[in-house]
Amino acid sequence: MALTKINIGPVHPSTHGVLRLVATLDGDTVKEIEPHIGFLHRGVEKLVETRMYMQSPSYMEKIDYVAPLSYDELYVATVEAALGIPVKERAQYVRVVQLELQRIASHLLWLGTAINDIGQLFSVFMWCFKDRDIVLKLLEEATGGRMFYVNMRLGGLNRDLMPGFADRTYKVLDYLKNRVGEYEEYIESNPIFMERMKKLGVMSREEAINMGVTGPVLRGSGVDFDIRSAYPYYVYEKLHFRSQFETAGDCFARYKVRINEIKESIRLVGEALKKMPEGDALGMPIKLIGPAPKEKEVTVKRELPRGEGMMYMVTDGQRPYRLSIRAPSFINTATLQHLPNGHRLQDLFPILASIDTVMADVDR
Amino acid sequence: MALDPIIVQAAINAILFGVAMLLVITAFDYIFGWIERKLVAKIHLRHGPTRVGKFGLLQNAADFLKLFAKENIIPARANKIIFLATMPIVAAIFAFIVLILPLQPNLLGVNLSIGLLLVFVLLSFVPILIFIAGWASANKFAAIAAQRSVILLVSYEIPLFIVIAAIAAFDHSFAFTSIVAAQSATWNILIMPLGFVVFFIALMAELERPPFDLREADSELIAGWLTDVGAPLYAISLFIDYTRVFMGGLLVSLLFLGGWLGPAFLPGAIWLMVKVLVVALFVVVLRATSPRMRLDRILHLGWAYLIPLSIVNLYLVYLLAIGVI
Repeated sequence: MALTKINIGPVHPSTHGVLRLVATLDGDTVKEIEPHIGFLHRGVEKLVETRMYMQSPSYMEKIDYVAPLSYDELYVATVEAALGIPVKERAQYVRVVQLELQRIASHLLWLGTAINDIGQLFSVFMWCFKDRDIVLKLLEEATGGRMFYVNMRLGGLNRDLMPGFADRTYKVLDYLKNRVGEYEEYIESNPIFMERMKKLGVMSREEAINMGVTGPVLRGSGVDFDIRSAYPYYVYEKLHFRSQFETAGDCFARYKVRINEIKESIRLVGEALKKMPEGDALGMPIKLIGPAPKEKEVTVKRELPRGEGMMYMVTDGQRPYRLSIRAPSFINTATLQHLPNGHRLQDLFPILASIDTVMADVDR
Repeated sequence: MALDPIIVQAAINAILFGVAMLLVITAFDYIFGWIERKLVAKIHLRHGPTRVGKFGLLQNAADFLKLFAKENIIPARANKIIFLATMPIVAAIFAFIVLILPLQPNLLGVNLSIGLLLVFVLLSFVPILIFIAGWASANKFAAIAAQRSVILLVSYEIPLFIVIAAIAAFDHSFAFTSIVAAQSATWNILIMPLGFVVFFIALMAELERPPFDLREADSELIAGWLTDVGAPLYAISLFIDYTRVFMGGLLVSLLFLGGWLGPAFLPGAIWLMVKVLVVALFVVVLRATSPRMRLDRILHLGWAYLIPLSIVNLYLVYLLAIGVI
């Protein structure tokens, strides 16, 4: 049968942003996928070179608009490493709380959009969105921003937590725990979802390691590697963090990893709030930031909701000489060249959803 | 040439009934459209339309005006005539099917002795017309949707026909009036529950409703066979969408739920409308709570379950008719 080339995206309901996939189809079977990226390239890395250190966090947040706080923290941590500034203890706990809340929000958004891609079930999307909104309200209360927070300062935070934040958060966590359990029960008792996720887009352990994927995609393939436990930062060691992984390597495993991560994050936030010491958590005022030593190279890595984020910075006095970002979505998206091959066209979209790409993160 | 006055009278009656029925269809489409939007919004934890008119009641009118005021874009490579003509023809087929369905023994356009057959013969034209429409728009997504339409045709027409064969055999008629009259003691849904399940699933596929909305498949094929249609044609497609739910509700009510039969304090036609509305609401809830199925799964369901079940149903009805069970 003659091969058909079909152009999916950059404007397509399921590509979440401006990903373009050129699919070669043999009948209904996907023969080859060619991802095209770069529609959202803003040149953030170059932009950072022209600015002083603490002028950049708001740009960093826009790299991944689904989990902005994580990138904010990654960048600030890089600058802290470059300038050699220690983080206050209470600030470490608050950062962990906010990062994990951000992870919950990000995974909830993923769950909604993925279910919508898989089965055109907009209801779950709306429910997840509503629950995510509750988490965003907490973050808004803590940081003052609804979508973009810019809450990290060198050595601490822009704002400490409000009094009573912990009690409100416990309530939200209880609610979320129930809701996530409900979603899990609903999705896993639905045979249509199960057959649309199981044995789809299988990535073996070796493939996953060789392709360099990170985050839930890697852990779905049976590799127990999480920066939070492999190279613990802040107080993750004290919080009895357990990384979540599955061995099947299919779309369902990746879904399961994310669901379990939401649960683990809920537990982490609760534990961090309980163990949080009193004290000062405020960071340095932006104007007091002194120059970094010249040509100092630092590399900082963090577990972002989408995978391993890494920043490499070469300093040059008051501004970075070079900043290089390893974006997890970029490397994870590359697997789209291999994963859908041999599957039906219809199955391409669950696979695409299970990778969880954010195109702003891919293109930067 | 002198016309027979009885035929003239019948023709006038049919035309009057047709006009009245079109008004009923439009009214149902309008109200159902609003109910669907509101109900789905409630399930989604949204508000649905609230701004235009009280409770957003005029929202659909505003939408239709907007859609018809827009330019009708025809893709350069599309086959113009077929592209423009298929959608109205599909709409007309659904409207025509509603016209030959009776609302009450004394409220019907034409009492055809082969009404049941005619309805399902007309209905099986629709996937073919959709195939033609999708192909004519010269869009690859529409073409894929067109092929899926044929897949649905081959897997769901057969069980549908076997079930209506059972109904016609049990009630000794192809006329809707006689089928409803035969249900005065027990509704068909109690006589052949298996047949009802098969019929309803096959009808959902026929109506292109979730979980069988493969031809439109939002998240995969953008809008399926409607990907390239312009706004006015899209308005017609919305009309088709609601009309076929009305038609589906009428068919289910007439064939299985006793049609206009009901306690005497309300006229029969009202009872029928109530039943149609219940079926339609069920269809909406199904849309909001069930994910789309895989294509191969749908084929499997059609061939491995629905066809054998419909044959079992036929046999059970045969045993029932000869008095064995």
